Amino acid sequence: MTDIIIQTDGLTVYYGNHRGVVDLDLTVRSGEIFGFLGPNGAGKTTTQRVLLDIIRPSRGTAAVFGMDAQKQGVSIRQKVGYLPGELSLYPAMTGRRFLDMVGKVRGNKIDPVFRRTLCERLQLDASRKMREYSRGNKQKIGVVAAFMSRPDLLILDEPTTGLDPIVQAEVLDLVREAKNEGRTVFFSSHILSEAQDVCDRVGIIREGRLVRTESIEALTRQQFRKLKLTFSDTVPSFEFEGVTETRRDEQSVTLEIRNNLDAVLEQAGSEGATDIETFPVTLEEVFLTSYGNNKGARDV
Amino acid sequence: MFSLFLFELRVRTSAIIGWGLGLSAFAFIYLPFYPSAFDQFSKIDFDSIALYQALGNFDMTSFEGYFASTVLQFFAVLFAIFAVVNGTGTLAGEEDAGTLELIAAMPLSRWQVVLSKASAMIVATALILVISGFFVMAGVAFVGSQVEIEITPMDSIPAIWNSFPITICFLMINLFLGASLPNRRIASTIGTVVIIFSYFGTNLSGLIESLEPLGPLLPFYYYDSTAAVFTGGVDWGNVRILLIAALVFLVLAIIAFQRRNLTVGAWFWQRARPPA
Repeated sequence: MTDIIIQTDGLTVYYGNHRGVVDLDLTVRSGEIFGFLGPNGAGKTTTQRVLLDIIRPSRGTAAVFGMDAQKQGVSIRQKVGYLPGELSLYPAMTGRRFLDMVGKVRGNKIDPVFRRTLCERLQLDASRKMREYSRGNKQKIGVVAAFMSRPDLLILDEPTTGLDPIVQAEVLDLVREAKNEGRTVFFSSHILSEAQDVCDRVGIIREGRLVRTESIEALTRQQFRKLKLTFSDTVPSFEFEGVTETRRDEQSVTLEIRNNLDAVLEQAGSEGATDIETFPVTLEEVFLTSYGNNKGARDV
Repeated sequence: MFSLFLFELRVRTSAIIGWGLGLSAFAFIYLPFYPSAFDQFSKIDFDSIALYQALGNFDMTSFEGYFASTVLQFFAVLFAIFAVVNGTGTLAGEEDAGTLELIAAMPLSRWQVVLSKASAMIVATALILVISGFFVMAGVAFVGSQVEIEITPMDSIPAIWNSFPITICFLMINLFLGASLPNRRIASTIGTVVIIFSYFGTNLSGLIESLEPLGPLLPFYYYDSTAAVFTGGVDWGNVRILLIAALVFLVLAIIAFQRRNLTVGAWFWQRARPPA
C-alpha cells in the first residue's frame, strides 16, 4: 500500500463566486489520524466531499490511495467509510434496515459480530425507526455505518457531534483502534481538545487555505511557551519583543513567550521571582494564534 | 446496484400503498355512481360545452365513455401529480433533505444511483397500477351487476395500464428536472408548469387550428382517455413514443447528474472557474 493515502495538489473549489477551498496542498499518510481544523465555512467539508467525488474541483487534483478522486471514485469509495457532518437519514426506516442496505451496497463484506459490537458499544438500539431517534442516536447510526466495514480510510466530519460524553469517548476509542489496526483517519472537529487527544497531525484551514500542517506535538511545542512567574513583592513588567502578558494579579504574571526567553528568566531572577510554573500549550491556543485571535475562530 | 434498487423500493412503500389506495378510492367512488347517474348524463351534450372540451374528452353516453371520461382522464392527471412529487422528490428532494450525501458516498457510480432510483420509481408505478387496477376491476364488476354494460372487468386492465407509459414519461421528465436543477422547489415548479401546459395544450390544440402543430410535442397528445381504448385496444405507436421520450429524459437525467456538484444546490452546468 502506498504510504500516502490522501493527496491534494492546488485543489481549488469555487461555488459560483463563493470560495470553497483555494490551492490546497494536503498530504495524509497511511496509518495516521489527521485532524482537519477550521471554523464553519473554512472549507473542511468541501475538501472531504471532493475526496469522495461528491463535489468536483474547479482546479487542481485530489487523489486517494493514489487514485484520482474524479476518475476512480467508485474504487475509492469502496475503501472509505464516511460520516458526513450534516447527517440526514430516512425517517420511516429503521436503523437496522439502513445499515443492512449500506452493508449490501458494500458487497456484504460486513462482519455481523463487529456490527453488533459497535451498536452495543455505542448503546444503539437499531430496531427503531429513525424518526424516533434523537440527534445523538442518528449520529450513532452514522458512526456504525462508517466503521462497520472496517474501511482502510475513515473520513469523519465532526464525529462526536450530538453524542453524550460517554459515547463521545467510545467514538474516540474507535478512532484510536482504527489507527492501531493500521487504518487511516481523516478527522475534522470543532472540539480542539478532542483533536489534540486523538490526532497525530493536524492541518489548520483558514478561509479555504491551509495555513499550517504539523504534528500535534510540534505545534504545541514550537509555537510558544507559557509561563507563570510568582513574586513576593511587586510584579515587574516584561517588555521584550515576542513576550505577551496574558494575565496579571497581585503576586503573579502569566506570559506567552515566543522570543527572548533568556531575557525573561534573567529579569525574573533579578526581580526576585519565587516560583516559575510552565503550562502545556493547548491546540486551542495554537489554533487561535493561527487565526490571530480574530472573529474567524469564534465558531470553533 | 440491485441492493440500492431494493432499498429505494422499500423507501417508497408508503407512497405505493397510499397512491394505490387513493387512486382505488377515486375509481371506487366514481364507477358505482354510474348506474344512478346514467340517465342524467345521457341528456347532457358535453361536446357543446367549451369548458368540458378544454378539459378533454367527455362522453357519458355509454359506460365505456363514462369510465374513460372519469377514471382514465383523471388517473392520468393524478399520475402526473404523482410524477412531479416523486420525480422531483428523488435526487432533488433527497439533496434538499441531505440524504443524498450518504448515497453519493457509497461505492456506486452516479449513473448507477440514477438508474436504481429510476427503476424503483417505475416498479412503484407498476405496483400502484396493480393495486388500483384491482379495485377498478371490482368497481366494473359492481356496475356490471347493477346495469347492463359492454365491458367485463378484465377489459379494464389494458385501459388502466394505458396510463403507465405517460406516467413513466412524466416521471423521467421530473427526474431530469430534479437531477439538473439546484433544488426541489424550482424542479417541481417547472414540472408542474410542464404538466399543466401539456394537458391544456393537448386539449386546446384539438380545438384551435393554429395550435394544432403544438399537440404532437406534448405527452398528453399520446395518451388516449377515450372509450376507444376498449374498442381499438392500446395504441402501441403512442406507447413507443412515450417510452422513447422517457428514455431520452432518463439519459439526460444521468448526464446532468454526472456533471453536477452534489449537496450544494448547483446547476448542472455550474462548475465555477476560480477568479484569474
